[in-house]
Amino acid sequence: MKLRIDEQCTGHGRCYSLAPQLLSPDDEGYVTIRGGEIEVPEDLRELADEVAGTCPEGAITLVDD
Amino acid sequence: MESSVATDPRQTDGGGCPVMHHDFSKQANLGGYWALANELREACPHFYNKYTADNGYWVFTRYDTVQDIYKTPEVFSSESITPWEPNPIYRFVPTQIDAPDHIKYRRILNPWFSPTAMESAAPTIREICRSYIEPLVSRGHCEFVNDFALLYPTAAFLNVIGVPTHFTQLFAGWVEDFFRGFGGDPAGLEKMSTALSEMRVFWTEQLDDRRKNPGKDGDLFCYLMKADFDGHPIDNDVMLDMCTVLTLAGVDTTRGELSYMFHHLALHPEDRHRLINEPELTPLAVEEVLRYYTIIFGDGRKVTRDIEFHGVQLRKGDMVYGLVSGANRDPRHWEQADEFVIDRKRNNHFGFASGPHRCLGMHLARREMTIATEEWLKLIPDFGLATDTQLLERGGGSMMALDTLPLRWEVGS
Repeated sequence: MKLRIDEQCTGHGRCYSLAPQLLSPDDEGYVTIRGGEIEVPEDLRELADEVAGTCPEGAITLVDD
Repeated sequence: MESSVATDPRQTDGGGCPVMHHDFSKQANLGGYWALANELREACPHFYNKYTADNGYWVFTRYDTVQDIYKTPEVFSSESITPWEPNPIYRFVPTQIDAPDHIKYRRILNPWFSPTAMESAAPTIREICRSYIEPLVSRGHCEFVNDFALLYPTAAFLNVIGVPTHFTQLFAGWVEDFFRGFGGDPAGLEKMSTALSEMRVFWTEQLDDRRKNPGKDGDLFCYLMKADFDGHPIDNDVMLDMCTVLTLAGVDTTRGELSYMFHHLALHPEDRHRLINEPELTPLAVEEVLRYYTIIFGDGRKVTRDIEFHGVQLRKGDMVYGLVSGANRDPRHWEQADEFVIDRKRNNHFGFASGPHRCLGMHLARREMTIATEEWLKLIPDFGLATDTQLLERGGGSMMALDTLPLRWEVGS
């Protein structure tokens, strides 16, 4: 499973606060992988699902491999 | 907050929408505005709010429509964010600036208020917070709003931008006066205007001081004066506008949220105990406060072109109001929409708005709320309401805030 963050991210920081083991902020508060994606380890799938549901911009999507 | 639904909604100029006549500037009983938002949202997805014979604005009441307003800034301009005042006497920068300049200002300001910057500021914010709680502990009671919620965020904010915290009382007064007029109550306009003028004089003096003493460094004024906007320094008037909005937004909002959060904690010992035993939940509890007890009744925008939006024909120049309080408790979007779920995780609320204008100070506000909860529960773990009388909240047009919150606790408990 991949977690994708599109350019609509405005830096609310909900994702990296909820899942610091997956995501982190840059110097402005945007998630570092804004406009990109990461592979989600098997044991963090539920967390990734919560992360997708916490973004007020709806900028996070999960894509099954 | 009397309302009437017109028998013929077409008496307005825009097709099939109910017409109502609400004044959102009026004081209400605590929780009155969330109850009203629930009622409006369930009555209709949108309506026309006519506040004078000639003026009105469209209100969109549900999560999906509020989200679409936020997601379409090219249609919904931030030129005015108060639908009852399409041409306000103030100009907030960057709040009321649209693309393409908006993001340039935001990219200058973002680093100053970033999570990393707030992490560095946290130890000082915690000290400031404790300095306001400690004198209260042995008293056994306080009026939470005036003794704590007005002062602590003001002092914390001034510290973050580099203004000495002995100005706290002065700023708290200006911010109070400004919001008397902001929400649409004509009786408050004079105080609002005076507060704006006095603040502007203060900022002018600060900027002049930095120009005369170029050796000074490390505060927001120096930072803004050195900032690059399209190859030029930021215009002086724009800097004054920025300082004003940062202050208004940075001080009053956190006071409002803190008052509702501590009202909740006073009434819910089980939640207090949960946060004492599981302090790692505090950030989630803060987010739930921002959803369930959002102080944002609604958020205004000005329509930039004729467009049909969710079945409503909008015209260029129309004002719209996204009912954030309706969206944040919309059962079409939320599970347990009308319950406070302290460890809610899928919490994509609009308490800090959404889209390019999302709250610049959100990382500071969260940090202040989290620290206030942690420190208060360490020093005063058990407390309750100290009154049986009805508590009142400021009108939603200015963002809700409790007028007073009397608390009491056993000394030595």
